[in-house]
Formats: sequence, C-alpha cells, structure tokens
Amino acid sequence: MVIKKSIFAYAAIITVLLLISIYSLNFYLDSVREDAVVNRMEGILDEYQEIQALSLMTEVFGGNITCLSLSNTLSYMDKNLWETGIKIDKYREATEQFVRDPFYLEQKIKFNRNEIIYLSMLKKMKEQCSINQTVISYFYKKKEDCRDCDAQAFVLSDLNKEIDSEMAMFSFDSDLGLASISTLSLFYNISSFPCIVVEDDAYCGLKNKNQIVDIICSYRNHSICSG
Amino acid sequence: MNIIYTILVHIVWFLSTYFVIVFMLALFSNRKKLYYSPKFEKDDELPKVSLIVPAYNEEASIADCISSLKRMDYPKNLYEVIIVNDGSKDKTAEIAKKYASDNIVLIDNSGNKGKARSLNHGISLAKGDYIACMDADTIVPKNILRKTLPYFKDKDIGSVTVSVKVRFADNFLQKIVRLEYILGLSLFLKIFSLFNCVHVTPGPFSVYRKSMLDDIGCFDPKNITEDLEIAYRIHKSGHKIANCMSTAVHTITPHDLKGLYRQRRRWYSGALLTLWQHRDILKSNKTGLFGYFIPFNYALIASGLGLFLFSSYLLLSNMLRNLSYYSLTNYNFFSNMTFDFDLLAISMFLFFGLSGIIGTVLLVSYGLGVVRKSPKRRPSLYLGYFLLFFIYQAFWLASFLVVFMRRKVKW
Repeated sequence: MVIKKSIFAYAAIITVLLLISIYSLNFYLDSVREDAVVNRMEGILDEYQEIQALSLMTEVFGGNITCLSLSNTLSYMDKNLWETGIKIDKYREATEQFVRDPFYLEQKIKFNRNEIIYLSMLKKMKEQCSINQTVISYFYKKKEDCRDCDAQAFVLSDLNKEIDSEMAMFSFDSDLGLASISTLSLFYNISSFPCIVVEDDAYCGLKNKNQIVDIICSYRNHSICSG
Repeated sequence: MNIIYTILVHIVWFLSTYFVIVFMLALFSNRKKLYYSPKFEKDDELPKVSLIVPAYNEEASIADCISSLKRMDYPKNLYEVIIVNDGSKDKTAEIAKKYASDNIVLIDNSGNKGKARSLNHGISLAKGDYIACMDADTIVPKNILRKTLPYFKDKDIGSVTVSVKVRFADNFLQKIVRLEYILGLSLFLKIFSLFNCVHVTPGPFSVYRKSMLDDIGCFDPKNITEDLEIAYRIHKSGHKIANCMSTAVHTITPHDLKGLYRQRRRWYSGALLTLWQHRDILKSNKTGLFGYFIPFNYALIASGLGLFLFSSYLLLSNMLRNLSYYSLTNYNFFSNMTFDFDLLAISMFLFFGLSGIIGTVLLVSYGLGVVRKSPKRRPSLYLGYFLLFFIYQAFWLASFLVVFMRRKVKW
C-alpha cells in the first residue's frame, strides 16, 4: 500500500478539531445571543421606567404635554415588545436541539412578566390620557397542547407588520406557570387556546386575518379597516 | 425525533468529513505520483492479450470501437480481439464482420445471453495471458495496452483499471456526469487503488490476469453489476486492483434523466445485491482495508440517505404548514418576505451543513486542479454537481426499494 497509515490518524484528529470548532463557534454565538436578549430586555426595562416617570408626571403636571410624549413612547414600545418576543423564541429554537438552555426560559418568564406590567400601565395611561389605542392580547400554549397556536402566531405576526401606532399587541405563554398570566386568563375567561383578547373581550379558537381585522374594526376605526 | 435527527446529523457529518479529509490528505501526499505508471523496457516483455468486446445492438458505436482497437500501438501478433455478438437485432454483426481479420474475430451467441455470459464466452476462447474486457461503445487510446499491462509485473496485481471519461457531453446533464466521471471514475479510483480499495473494475475497460480468472472464476451471470461483483472476488483471493490514470477510455453516457436513472438504478441495486452476496467480506481478514472501506462506504450512503429523507420530510412538512398559514393571511406573501437575516437565529445544523459543502467544494476544486485536461471550474458546474447529489439520493432510495421488494432490474 502506498498510503501511510498515519493518514487515518491525522484525518481523525482534523475531523475532531473541526467538530470542536463548530461547537466552539456555537458556544460563542450562544453567549452573543444571550447578550443580545439581555440588552433588549434592559432596553425594555429602561422604557418602562420612562413610562412610569411620564405617568407620574401626568398626575403631577397635567396631561397635555406628557400624554403626547407618552403616546410616542408607547408606539415605540409596542413594536419593540413583539419583536423581542419573536427573537427570544427564535433563539430558543436555534439552540434547543443541542442544549436545553434554561436561560431562554428565564428570559421568556421575565419578558411575559414585563408584558403584564406594561399592559397594566397601558390601561392606566389610556384612562389618564384618553389614548385611543386598541389592545390585543394573545394567549397561547406549546405546540403539543395547542395545534393551532403556531398558525395563530403566524397570522398575528403578519398583522403586526400592518398595524399602526393605535394598536398594541401582546403575547402570553400560558405554559410558563406564571400566576399573573393565570390570573389574566381567569379575568378574561379564557377557555381554550389560542385565544385573542381585544379590549377585554376574548375570542378563542383559530382566527384568520380577515376575522381578526373585523373584530378589531368593530371597536375602533384603524388604517387596516379601510382595506 | 429531534434527538434522532441530531444523532443522524452527527454521524453523517463525521463519516463524510473524515472520508473527505482522508481523501484530501491521500491526494495531496500522492499528487506527484498520480500519473506515474510502470513501463516495459523492451518489446520482448510484451505479453499476449485478448480483448473481449460483448455487443448487443451496438450498430451506432461498434465501428468506432473496433477502429480504435485497430489503431493500438501494440504488435498485432500479440493481441486478439474477440467480438461477441449477443443476439443483436440490428446491424452490429454485419458491421463487425467487415473488420474481421487475423486478430479480430466475431463470435455469435445463440440468442441474447447477457453481458456476463458473453464475456465468459469470449474468455473461454481467449488465448492471451491477460484479458481486457470492454464495452462496444468504448473508444480506447492507442497506448492503452502499453500503459496497463506493465502493472502486472507486480504478481499481486489481479486487475488493472483505467480512467473512464465521457465521450460526448452535449447537454448540461452530460457535462455534470462528465465531471462526475473525471472525479469518480478517474481520480477517486486512483486514490482507492492507493489504499487497495478499488471496489469496481469498470465495464468500459478493465484488464485481468487470466490465471487469476481461472482460479476465481469469470463473471457472475446472475449479477447485474458483474464488473463490481468480480472486484469483490479479486480482493477475497488476495489480489490487488490497480488503477492507471495516465491513460483513459471514452464511453457514452445517458443523455437524459430517464436514461441516467435506469443506469444508476442498475448500478446501485447491483451494488447492494453484491454487498449482500459477499457480506462475509465484512468479517474477512484477507481483504485488508477493503473489508473496512466497504462497510464504511455503505454506512455513509445509508445514513446519508436517511438524513436526506428526514430533512426532506421536515422541509416539506414545514413548507406545507407555512402554505396553510399563508392561506389564513390571504396569501400575503410579500409582507412576510422582508429580509430579516439574523445570524444569531441560525441553528448549529447549518454550520454542519456549510462545513460539509465547503469540504466538498474544496475536494472537487483540488481534484479538478490535479487532473489533467479537466473542464473549467465554472460555478454552474459545481451547482449542477450538488444538484446531481440530491438526485442520486432519490436513485439510491429507488434502488433500496427495488432490492427490498426483490424486483428484477434489467439493463
């Protein structure tokens, strides 16, 4: 044989080194992912503090100027929240085949908890500043327990791209075991999943885009209603 | 399901990457010796050789084939050509008769007996010490015998194979197959020969030691890939199969996908049946590295096919699911087609896939750089080669099913 046997050993070493490189790259990306999520969450928490400050100012200084600043902050928050939720889910999906990282579950819990705080503040602001904003809350469970939840999330993501600043969309994962989400579910009388709550009224079962638009437009006239 | 997929990805990645790296290292360390071949110092060393050409309905190519044999720079008294007409219904026999001479004879089978039987018939009448078996659509260069026969100076060599190239590459498919032959039936065969792992003595042209054929028997008429089956027996007998890259024969390949499918279904199902027929090779110590190479090769093929099927299932089910989702949004494709590329959302599977693709591209590029007179390295060629890889998965699946369902495969 012309081939030296050492070739097989060298090839095995190179292959193992390549495998280690791929895993190392993935671990590096994992840390970058976690930093990206933490930074987004910190950004959201900063905005909450800003909203809380503005809310307090409304009570102390009156609503004329502060309500305008508040509605601008709210419209930025609405988009940011939904996108952050999507990112957390995407990063979780990208990593969970290899490592069931508890980090993303913790972040999801934190995120959902913050959404509830934000939702509560938003309701208060609407009263204080008479803001005409339609609030949509989406309650879901994991795929195994809710066959239509993926489809509903797809429809809402599509809708989210078209909604104007007069609509705010929230998503709540009912599998997280959070008392706040369970309480909210009880408050809205949610009987099955997926379930969309529009202005305190629950609409459970899979809804297509047209149906959701019709529901939203029955409360208020928005830009999507003209289509 | 995720765990199974993950394990499958790791297995396929590891086997294929290891295979590619072994190849690259072997190719790199032997790049200067690839075209070396032994020579006869004097003409009185030249042995007697018989060339067997089985022919069934080959009127379109038999004339060119025989003409190329007549042009060989080998003493006419030292070679004979035995054309075996295998019950042709066209003008094959008529054309071949025109070339009959002292050393070119035509013999007829009584009816169509198949390639293996035709070869065996010719071998039974052969007077040469070495037997060259070839196809009736093969064009040989004039130096073919002077290049291949010196290998037999090594007593361990039982057979010598050559590079097989495509004669006509008119359409894109044939150009891709030409690339495949340059790598698979030329360069890779050479590398395999360095490991003594040549798994086939290609039908277009291979030379055998007559005494070895007398010991191990000729071609198996029950096997549809007799050129592959005999290679197993050559290894089992303790002989080696060499490859001569400094000469090449040209053959005709299918010009459409249907023809390619028929060819490959025969090759692949024949390979599986041969593996089953010679499954004792997996336990044999006599075959050296060949006994390890075969299970490695087929483990890679089977796991690769499994991964391909699994991935196709996931991709198709995702596509169908997404299509059903779009129906809920009035098929609003455009709003969802925003380019939102996020490197952080990429799974590790993609890195495995990318490294596999990069490795294959490197191997193909380096291989084409080493092989003389290879086609230009155009991106379309690489793309076509990858496309062919996916098509071949479907061919392998069909072949597995054919073997599993015990269906007969014909030429």
